[in-house]
Amino acid sequence: MGKAKIISLSFLLFFTLSLYAKDYKASDFGAKADGITLNTCSIQKAIDYISENGGGRLVFEAGNYLTGSIYLKSNVTIQLNYGATLLGSTNPFDYIKDKYIGWMSMIFSVKQENIGITGQGTINGRGFITANNMVNYIHRGIYTDPLKLDRPNETNRPQNVYFRECKNVTITDITLKDPASWNQTYDQCKNLYVDNIKVDSKSYWNNDGIDVVDCDGVVIKNSYFDAADDVICFKSHDAMSICQNVVVSNCVGRSSANGLKFGTVSRGGFRNFKVTNLTIYDTFRSAITFAAVDGGIIENIVVDSVRSINTGNVIYLRIGDRWSQGKKPGMNGITISNVYAEVPFTKPDAGYNYEGPVEDLPRNISPASIVGLPEYRIQNVKLKNIEIVYPGAGNPLYAKRGLTPAELDSIPEMRTAYPEFSQFKELPAWGIYIRHADGIELENVTFTALKKDYRPGIVMDDVKGASLKGTKFNEPGSEGKKQIVQYKSENVTIE
Amino acid sequence: MTKIKILTLALLSTCLMLSAKDYKASLFGVKSDGATLNTRSIQTAIDYISANGGGRLVFYVGRYLTGTIQLKSNVTIQLEEGAILVGTTSVYDYFGIDGVRAIIIADNQENTGITGKGVIEGQGTALVNNIKTQIQKGYIKETPAQASPMLVYMKDCNNVTIEQINMWDACGDIQSYKGCKKININKISIKSNLSAESKGILLSDCDGVTLVDIYFNTSGPELIYDSTSKNVSVVNCRNENGKAVRAK
Repeated sequence: MGKAKIISLSFLLFFTLSLYAKDYKASDFGAKADGITLNTCSIQKAIDYISENGGGRLVFEAGNYLTGSIYLKSNVTIQLNYGATLLGSTNPFDYIKDKYIGWMSMIFSVKQENIGITGQGTINGRGFITANNMVNYIHRGIYTDPLKLDRPNETNRPQNVYFRECKNVTITDITLKDPASWNQTYDQCKNLYVDNIKVDSKSYWNNDGIDVVDCDGVVIKNSYFDAADDVICFKSHDAMSICQNVVVSNCVGRSSANGLKFGTVSRGGFRNFKVTNLTIYDTFRSAITFAAVDGGIIENIVVDSVRSINTGNVIYLRIGDRWSQGKKPGMNGITISNVYAEVPFTKPDAGYNYEGPVEDLPRNISPASIVGLPEYRIQNVKLKNIEIVYPGAGNPLYAKRGLTPAELDSIPEMRTAYPEFSQFKELPAWGIYIRHADGIELENVTFTALKKDYRPGIVMDDVKGASLKGTKFNEPGSEGKKQIVQYKSENVTIE
Repeated sequence: MTKIKILTLALLSTCLMLSAKDYKASLFGVKSDGATLNTRSIQTAIDYISANGGGRLVFYVGRYLTGTIQLKSNVTIQLEEGAILVGTTSVYDYFGIDGVRAIIIADNQENTGITGKGVIEGQGTALVNNIKTQIQKGYIKETPAQASPMLVYMKDCNNVTIEQINMWDACGDIQSYKGCKKININKISIKSNLSAESKGILLSDCDGVTLVDIYFNTSGPELIYDSTSKNVSVVNCRNENGKAVRAK
């Protein structure tokens, strides 16, 4: 490369960068940081102006900027400096229910590119107040909603962020707090980069940490989530789309639902995921739940290095047939390795706001589960270097599922049910329960029960092809107990 | 009077009572603190009332901050004594019809109005400062006059009643009616002389306008209309110097 080329390239680069990095102060457009002035229209004007004039950053200095729904446009980054908060209005009528998206949100973006929200500042939806205000309006007959489960439908409560069909999205360093519904949704976006965000999301029902729907090219790393609903949730709303090419690393989260979740809406599917260094704690349901219940597929998924501490369940893989509409759900090629997990005897999310629902009783502590359907089987799952510590103490007088063919067959298929680890109520194993699955490998997996349990460690029902290498069971007073039970299974090797 | 006539009258008055259903602004979460921007709540209220058979949206004593709201058919804004509908001082909270901004706009609506002893206040000084700053920074390409919201602008409306209210401190013209039929404006008081030329009432392409007992204190002309408007009658209207304002 000649000098001239280098020089001209550097100039070009500099020029491009300086174009992009042009900063505009929100206060220049009249936005007030007093926490009282509703800035919706000023902020929108600023975004429109910056987008129409070559792009740049809209910078919010420290202070509280009250706002309703705004739309982020191409080549605009919202920069929230340290101490700057976008404060959601508590008036539900200040939010738009976007007709194309079908949800309410504080920050929308639809079909835009090169957009972002960055900086050390905060987005605070104040969702508890907004949602309860909405409940009042519904009771007064001003807003129409069936109030199912005595709460407004999640689409009638604002999220903090909803981006749809956007390209090149950057979300870094910010704190996302207290939405009235899901927290942040990226739907059919391409190239989503999320780094070093903090999520405090337990102000109302359905407060997920992050929802990534049918996106292609996703990085989520170095982030912390405290969420009432699922922590990191991948979804597939569109049967013709798929959520794919995703890297998740160095994330920590807790939840009154699941940690890492695929689904529940799973129409198109999920493929090519690599998840590393995930810590899930104080979580009511499973650290890892992969659900293919709406006709979608789940394939080529690697999860490595997981700590799951004080979590109601560790691994739940499930195929169902809920909204498949003729599509065939599938799950193939899941590797989960290097996991240390502790399941408590008590409620893991006790004391958090919007605790998970106590349900599916009576049951003793549920095992990890891999459950397909007779005709839609879970295929090629490898669990390697895993230790799960259970409380044990399963008591047959409280709840019992024995090992006779009749008892094992009595476990319902629940093909159209909402998939949760507890859905079958009592399961016949304390360590792991596997049903309707082919090609299951367990390598160096240790199950520990702190107290004696009436159930065996593993039950395999209708498993075609399984290899168990170095499986260990630690259970007090279990000498001579048969820990591995096979039923209707074939080609199972145990070393 | 025959029985039929009485029955008809009774029926008519029942209809009137039905259509006069009152809704308190607080039902829709509208706040009277002078700080909460109520634009969307008031709009929700107007849309709701219009969609549910019409009625009056009643504001009791207090300051109700708002940006542009669109009045709809069969809805009357009733400003009770002490109720002040206050225009916000950020130009971006306003929008208009064909580029003409106002606090209250109505486009192609009927049986609508603004009544009561309350006030519509434009906060013209502060708003015009905001507009000038935004123009100076290059964020608005219009002139201050073009960008300045009126208090009321109605276009292509039928059967409009503006009664008793006080209209204060617009940053430009105060109110304008274009292509409207059957406008009754009576007993209102206009006080707006912040800008050099704040016009009181502008009419164009209107048919059937009755102006009764209006007090004008405006920096610009009190009443402006031309031959495009027909059947305009002006009764007992005066300016601050006692000079009668007359029809052409």
